[in-house]
Order: sequence, then structure tokens, then C-alpha cells
Amino acid sequence: MRTFFHSIRWRVQAWHGAILLTVILGFCLTSHRLAWNNQLRSVDRSLAQTERTLIRGLMQAAEAHGEPGPGFSPRRLADKLRSNPEVFPSALGAIFQGREPGFAYFSLRDADNRPLLQSPNVPEDVAVPLHTPPEFAEEARTVSGRREIVHRTPDGLVSIIGMDLGPERREMRRFAWSLVALGGGVWLVGLLGGWWLAGRAIQPVADISRTASRIAEGNLEERIVPDGTNSELDQLSRVLNATFDRLHAALERQKQFTADASHELRTPVTILLSETQRILKRDRTPEEYRAVIQTCQATAQRMRQLTEALLLLARQDRGAGELRREPCDLAAILRTTAAQLQPLADARGIQLRLELETALCMGDPTALSILTTNLVGNAVEHHDRAGGVVVVGCGVHEGQVRLAVSDDGPGIPAADLPHVFDRFYRVDSARSGGSGHVGLGLAIAKAIATNHGGDIVAENLPGRGCRFSVQLPARSPSARASS
Amino acid sequence: MRVLVVEDNPVLLRSLADSLREESFAVDTAEDGEEGVEKATSVAYDAIVLDVMLPKLDGWGVLARLRPGIRTPVLMLTARDAVPDRVRGLDCGADDYLTKPFNLDELLARLRALVRRTTGQTRSLIEVGDMKIDTAARRVFLAGVDVPLTAREYVLLEYLALHRGETVSRTALYEHLFDENDDSLSNLLDVHVSNLRRKLGRDLIATRRGHGYCIE
Repeated sequence: MRTFFHSIRWRVQAWHGAILLTVILGFCLTSHRLAWNNQLRSVDRSLAQTERTLIRGLMQAAEAHGEPGPGFSPRRLADKLRSNPEVFPSALGAIFQGREPGFAYFSLRDADNRPLLQSPNVPEDVAVPLHTPPEFAEEARTVSGRREIVHRTPDGLVSIIGMDLGPERREMRRFAWSLVALGGGVWLVGLLGGWWLAGRAIQPVADISRTASRIAEGNLEERIVPDGTNSELDQLSRVLNATFDRLHAALERQKQFTADASHELRTPVTILLSETQRILKRDRTPEEYRAVIQTCQATAQRMRQLTEALLLLARQDRGAGELRREPCDLAAILRTTAAQLQPLADARGIQLRLELETALCMGDPTALSILTTNLVGNAVEHHDRAGGVVVVGCGVHEGQVRLAVSDDGPGIPAADLPHVFDRFYRVDSARSGGSGHVGLGLAIAKAIATNHGGDIVAENLPGRGCRFSVQLPARSPSARASS
Repeated sequence: MRVLVVEDNPVLLRSLADSLREESFAVDTAEDGEEGVEKATSVAYDAIVLDVMLPKLDGWGVLARLRPGIRTPVLMLTARDAVPDRVRGLDCGADDYLTKPFNLDELLARLRALVRRTTGQTRSLIEVGDMKIDTAARRVFLAGVDVPLTAREYVLLEYLALHRGETVSRTALYEHLFDENDDSLSNLLDVHVSNLRRKLGRDLIATRRGHGYCIE
């Protein structure tokens, strides 16, 4: 249940419910208030009507008894009416009587709250307000369930005419209940709709999560099916699919590499076992023993080269983070490399021609020297004829350090060109134990170039030969300043 | 027994061929798949040792070209030892499967078993009358007594015994007992046969004039 209350759907629903409730409450309260004000206005209108009726009735009664004479004032009228109750018109008495809900009453009082004249049904708690309105002004107020209009005459008389709000209040209660029912209904429908909508919005997430967990369980071929709407979730699906593609490819490469490495290591072990088992089956001549030991030695040398190459590659595979970075001159490194490979070139009758310019870059000198050795050694070893030339050049061009090793050898067959940097790929296809290279040299060179933020390309030259070019970022002036 | 070994690593190929020759197999070699197919279709080998990772045409491709026309038993050699690889090899028509690095004795035993199975034998011991041939130890006993034979004499006797009851032509004997590098003359076969008769008894090997030899 914990996860349920933490689910996005639940949280969306909770927020949605709260906001919807606030809106509905605000709406209901406002309409209730408006309706109540409306009621009060109509009550006020009817009170004003009643007041006019009362005043007219009282005036008529006074006229019938010889008033108004000179010096008429509401106070004198009130005194007169009080001293002669029979003067009070019975029509008016019918209006101001009883305590049924909605009854009307009036009360004329002096400023000290002493009643001068009032209807018999005046509630006990009727009182002149503490702050009486200014002369001729009118004040409407709601006091304990009644609506009253208060007037003050110039001679200090206060008239209170009121009405019980019972029927209006009952009506307002009914209205309030219907508002509650309506609001509650709208809220429930909103909640259901919100739940459905949230579920619909979350549905693709659930699909993505299910697919992703299947992929995590090892089904690497599977992909999330994007809904093609280009929505946020659709974009997420695409991003995830691209990530899975890359992971899958990396894993496949790793698998292939492990399989290849194990194959490459198993073959020499097989030779060692097979040769030693054969030779030990019976007594041999010293020449036979020597031949087998030589084979074993050559095989062991090859295994050593292979493990060294694998180790180098593994080190490069750990990425650029492990790389030492210091300022170094590619020209100096190439000069050393050429000197080391000179004996091999001499043995094969190859001329090494150096065209070196100072090329400063940031890098690991050991790794860069492996890169140059692999490239130059590769060019020398694959040259097919004595008298050939291998040109080694470097320099800075357009802010990039460039290194090129070109030869006038047989070139690379077009079908092999895209694969020369693949691990364990050998152009001659011979997994020969004798030739000494294990098919990792160029792969290592590429890994080193990539780790230095550079790139390496192989191309056939028009006519004859091929060229391997490396581009590395040049050592920037800021780096020079800081070092 | 004549065996074809297809393996791209020249050192391993030479080592395997030497080992098999020392066990009196006649051995032909091929360094890539296409050469392997060519040789396997032109000579009736008793068995083929086939590496999987080969240039030009890999082991699977060689098998696909051989089967179902060529029924020579094939022993696959490979560095891939995952179960799916082994299953694939056997399903493709290989008769046995050995992963590198292998034990030489195991390879030899499996080859002998393959040849035995294709000739209908179930045991490594062949009995003809009171003569016993132990194909594992490559020794021959006559009435319990060890009879020393030369390697050539032994393979000739073994081949005839494996095809007991059949008349084996001289051509077939040449094809199965000598490899592509042998230049033994044809009359040597008669010498070996007469030597065997001298050592094991006149009546063991019958001559069918114009057809060949036979062990009844």
C-alpha cells in the first residue's frame, strides 16, 4: 500500500481532488452568499414597503383625529397614539401581530431606548442601536434571526421596523443543502474523471517500466514501442530505446571480443598440449625434441604478445579517465619509434622517411608511443617488397595535431578497409602463429587515439599504398600557460 | 584409415597431422574451408577433423556443402564451447565435437570411435577366428600371443578386418591407407599382404583376382 500512496497516479489524484474541492467550495460559498444578499435585499424592500404602509396608516389615523395641527411631529403623533390606543388602525394591527415565522413588528422609541409606541409582538431583545444612524438616514441590520430597519427622526425619535427571517433562513438552508449535494456530486464525478485521466496518462509509463524490466532481465532484443505521438513519454521511449541499443551493441561487442580473445588464447594452448603430448608418447631423437621445443617457445611468445596486447587494450578500454596527460611532442615520440623500428625496416629492405615538424599535444607519452609503433610497424611489416618507402609525418594543421604514416605497399583490399580497426581482424586472414601479429595492433591504436580525444582513419592512396592518419587536439595556449 | 584435417593455424595443423601419422593414420591437410571442401569431395576419407573458424569458408559452411552428399564422419574442433555452439555443430551434420584445447588421446579415441561406428563395429576389439585386433592399443593377438606388426601391416589388417566380408579393391586400399604425400608403389601392397599371411596364417586374407582382398 505504501507504493500505492507514493504512486504518481495517487499523488495527481490527491492534488486534483484538493484543488477541485477548493474550487467547488468557493463557488458554493459565493453563490450562497449572493443568494442570501438577494434575500436580504428583497426583505429590505418589503420592510420599506411595510414602513410606508405603517406611516401612512398612522398619519391617516392622526388626520382622522384632527391632526395634523400646527407643531406636528412624530413624537406628538406617538404620544397621541399611545394615549388613545383605539386610534391605532385595525388594518395595521393585522399586519403587526403574532409570532409565526415571518412576522413583522415595529417599535418607536426615544434615544434612551424607552418604547413610545410599538406593536404587541415586538421581541424582548429589540433595542435602539448604540450608534444610531444620522437624521433621516436609514440603517438595515440583521439581529438574531430578524431583519430590522432603523430610522431616526430629527426630534430624537428612533423607529425600528423588523421582520422575522424564519422563512428566508429555511429557504437558504434548503438552498445550502442542494448546493452541498450538487457540489459533492460534481466533486465525485471530477475525482472519477481525474482517476481515469491520471491512469490513462500513467499507462505508457507502466508499459515502459514493464518493457524496461524485461530488458533488464536479459531480453536485450526487446524494445519499447513508441506510440508515435511525439509526446513527452514518446520522446522518453525513443531516448530509452536508443540507450538500450547502445548498451546492447556494447554488450555484443564485449561478448564478441571475449569469444575472440578466448579463441585466440585457446589455439596456442592447443598447440602446446598437442605437441607435448605427441612428443612424450615415445622416445625421440634430440632433433625432434628441439623442433618441438622451438614450436612451443614460438607459441609461448605468441601467447605473451597476445596477453600483452589484451592487457593494453583493457587499459585503454577503461577510458580516458585513467590516461596520464602531460605535454609531449609527437615529433620526438615518432623519432624514437623510427629509431626502434629501423632494424626491422632494414631487415625487410624498407626505407623509413621522416617528415617531422614540432607537434605539441597533451597526452600519455607511453600510450602515444605504442600508437606510433603500431602504425609504423604495421606499415613496415605489411609492405610487400624490398626497396619500398614508408613516410612518417607529423605537424600542426588548423589547430589539430596530425600524424600520417603512408607507404607504397600493396594497400588494403576494399572489402577489408572498413574493418582494419576491428579487434582480431586480420587482412591476410591467416591466424598464423609465425607472423607475430595478433590482430590487435590497429585496434589498440584506435583506442589510444579515441582516448586522447582524437580520431584515426585508414585510406588507400591512389595508385599504390595506403595511409593511416591520426588527428589529436593540439595543446591549447591556455594549457601551456597553466603548465 | 585416411583422415582429412582442416585447420587454419599452420603450427596446429602440422602438429595434428604429425600426431595422427604417428598413430598410423594417413593424413591429408587443408588450410581453409574451400580447400577442405575440394579435398573432402574428391577423396573418400574415413573421417574429417574440421576446425570451425576458417578463412574463406568456415566450418559450418564446409559442413553445409558436404552434407548430405558426403557421408564421411566429421569431428568438429572449435574454441567455442557454449552449448548453443555445440548443438549447432551437431545439428549441422557433425558427428562429434571437441573443444580446444583438447587432449590428444581423446581426439585419437574419438576418431577411432567415429571410424568404428561408420563401419558398424561397436567395440574397439575386433575378433576374426582366434585372432584379436585391439584397435585402441593397435596390437594383434593370435591365440593369445602378441604378434608384432609394422605400422603399414597393421593398418592394412585393421582396414580389411573393419570391412570384414567385403572385397576391398586395391584402389580402395590405396585411397584409405596412403595419404596424398605417400609415393608407395603398388607392389608394396602385395608385400604387406604376404607378410601378414606369413605372420597370421595363410588363409586369413583371401585374394579375389582382379577385385582385391577380403577377410572372410
